[in-house]
Amino acid sequence: MNDLVVSSSPHIKNSSSTRRIMLDVLIALIPVTAAAIVFFGHTVALNVLFCSLFCYGAELLYDLILTKSFTREGVKKSSCHDLSCLVTGVLLALNLPPYFDVWGLNIYAGETVAFSFDALFACLIGSVFAIVAAKKLFGGIGRNIVNPALSGRVFLFMCFGAGFAAKADVFDAVSSATWLSSKSAVDGSVLLDMFIGKTGSAAVGETCVIALIVSYAYLVIRRVIDWRLPLVTIVSTAVFALVFDGLLKGVSGDTLWLNTLAHVLSGGVVFGAVFMVTDYATSPNSTLGKMIFATGVGLITVLIRVYASYPEGVSFAILIMNIFTPLIDRYVYPRPFGATRGNKK
Amino acid sequence: MLYTFKKGVHPPQNKYTGKTPITVMPPTEKVFVPLSQHIGKPAVAVVSEGETVRRGQLIAKADGFVSANVFSPIGGVVESVNRPGETPNGKSLHIVIKKSDESEDGEAFTLPPLVSPTGREIIDRVRDAGIVGMGGAGFPTHVKLSPKEKVDTFIINGAECEPFITCDHRIMLEYTAEFLRGALYLASALGLNEAYVGIEDNKPDAISAVEDRAERDNLRVKVIKLKSKYPQGAEKQLIYAATGRKVPAGGLPSAVGCVVDNVHTALSTCFAVEKGETLYKRVLTITGDAIAKPQNLWVNTGTPYRDVISFAGGATKTLGKIVSGGPMMGFAVYGDEVSVSKTTSCVLLLGEERARLSEPSQCINCARCASACPMRLMPMFIDKAMGAGDLKTAEKYGVNYCIECGSCAYVCPAARPLVQTMRLAKKKIREAKK
Repeated sequence: MNDLVVSSSPHIKNSSSTRRIMLDVLIALIPVTAAAIVFFGHTVALNVLFCSLFCYGAELLYDLILTKSFTREGVKKSSCHDLSCLVTGVLLALNLPPYFDVWGLNIYAGETVAFSFDALFACLIGSVFAIVAAKKLFGGIGRNIVNPALSGRVFLFMCFGAGFAAKADVFDAVSSATWLSSKSAVDGSVLLDMFIGKTGSAAVGETCVIALIVSYAYLVIRRVIDWRLPLVTIVSTAVFALVFDGLLKGVSGDTLWLNTLAHVLSGGVVFGAVFMVTDYATSPNSTLGKMIFATGVGLITVLIRVYASYPEGVSFAILIMNIFTPLIDRYVYPRPFGATRGNKK
Repeated sequence: MLYTFKKGVHPPQNKYTGKTPITVMPPTEKVFVPLSQHIGKPAVAVVSEGETVRRGQLIAKADGFVSANVFSPIGGVVESVNRPGETPNGKSLHIVIKKSDESEDGEAFTLPPLVSPTGREIIDRVRDAGIVGMGGAGFPTHVKLSPKEKVDTFIINGAECEPFITCDHRIMLEYTAEFLRGALYLASALGLNEAYVGIEDNKPDAISAVEDRAERDNLRVKVIKLKSKYPQGAEKQLIYAATGRKVPAGGLPSAVGCVVDNVHTALSTCFAVEKGETLYKRVLTITGDAIAKPQNLWVNTGTPYRDVISFAGGATKTLGKIVSGGPMMGFAVYGDEVSVSKTTSCVLLLGEERARLSEPSQCINCARCASACPMRLMPMFIDKAMGAGDLKTAEKYGVNYCIECGSCAYVCPAARPLVQTMRLAKKKIREAKK
């Protein structure tokens, strides 16, 4: 009778765990990854593999160096086992082009790239930046200010911007440029291509909206994400696109609506809305705060797309809103049940 | 139409004993009756060592207004009046009574039965019979029946939202008429002539039993069907579900014109009024994954848990934890020598596996605690603030509103002891204000 556990209630806990949540996100990434491989070729698969390995390795090595225990025990204690580094890795790979062409180290099989050493190095740099600079230096999981995968992508984009030119080997040249840079006339078939994912892009994961909807459904069913957040992001983008790239420019008639729809379907809006805006650590914790965050992402995306020198702005928009998250959390939180107005304490 | 509150959690119900009729556990050789079985001052012993007492006789008297009388559960001889011991809520002195052979069938001491009593008489009877809130908190019922504010709604809490526990469920089925009459006695003590009974929809048989009985006996009782969700039976959440009123922070339910009492309290009130019975026994659920025969039992107060456990067939595996009350808000006890009190609704035995504490990891800011919290607090920020010893920020995010239901800790994927931290925070804030 002496070894009874005496602890404060509750005495039961549900089966959720950080690892399980991350595993769910990885499962949700399968359709998106598959679609990216189908549309952009086998180098995407290699990138996913590289980034996952490098992210995992970076996290493990960082922990080992920090704890100075290069033993089995040290490996056991590393936070890499919660799988969040793999999520970062896969997300980073899906945010990159299928291959890079920076140092000219690519091996070609005929016209197409068979193996890209450039991409290998880019993945290494991006992964280390994402895990070490964006995540671990801020205290690891849950404490990072900005989304690690996105900061890895933006870091690479800043370093090797040319490598991010939209590539679409499997498509004909006409549809290979993204709509955002050409802003060509939109019709039903263009929208359908965008929906299926038959369009060029500098980020392989963001094109296939069908796959993203499957991922979204899985994450919502598993209750990993708040179902409202991606929708608010998308609606916000649509509304601001309608205003800033439509009404303010005097666009009217069918073109107005088709352009608005194209704004939502092209670029990284849906991908960002499903996987980035819903990131736990870098979005606010109150429901209202999350909605403000998602709305802000839509607004900044459209502002960058319309007024800045970059054709696409989702990554920047999310990173910028990430920085506002602590501020939102500080001032936006619910009034406790039974508290009277103006008397939060 | 189902009524409920916002947020909350859905732990597995594990109500193994919902279909098991209540059986009577025979009196044990010795009882250890705690003097403190309620919130407030401990009762003061009025018997002395060697004295012979009857079943139902007063052995300790309420000390002041917020306190309650304690009665002997068996006929026998007092062995000690100040044996120190543990209760789930802390230390208390115990009166030890040894059963005498001939007294087993001895007539119980009773108060004179009341016929169509006035409100005042009911309040006095409730006080004299030592009736307290039998859901777990043990607030003396006569105090609740004397609110300062005007009360217009009386609610019986039959939600029983804690997993495992079924004693209220069985009482509603087996003592339907008695507990409903008791509810109406309590209501009339408040100057009301009707009572509401809130029951979760996972007990459809109890809902129809109460509705049928109310109709047949022409009792002014209304059932409020509640959604099965934890913590549906928390007072503030129940009142909100039933009336849409929000109890203000730090306020009692009477601040919004409500009084809530437990099912068993109503039953004991009925017995006290109609039969003059004093409160010395109760129905409890003995259950869990480590007990041979989970069941509902009439048990005398003062019966050590070990006797209840062996009566229910003993433990089937190595015990990891004994909980007094439910798994969400119950108290883990130090050993099986703890006694059943007026507030012991459940003795929950968990095996080693289930008692193992999970190692907390870093908060990932998933905000599941915030979406579970029925009080709309931000547990993750309070936890973080407490990590830095920052009481002010903890207060800012509402820690003083915490009802300690444990929903946050239940859902936390990082297994952080959130509600436990909030308890600590509340205590520290109280101390700092002194």
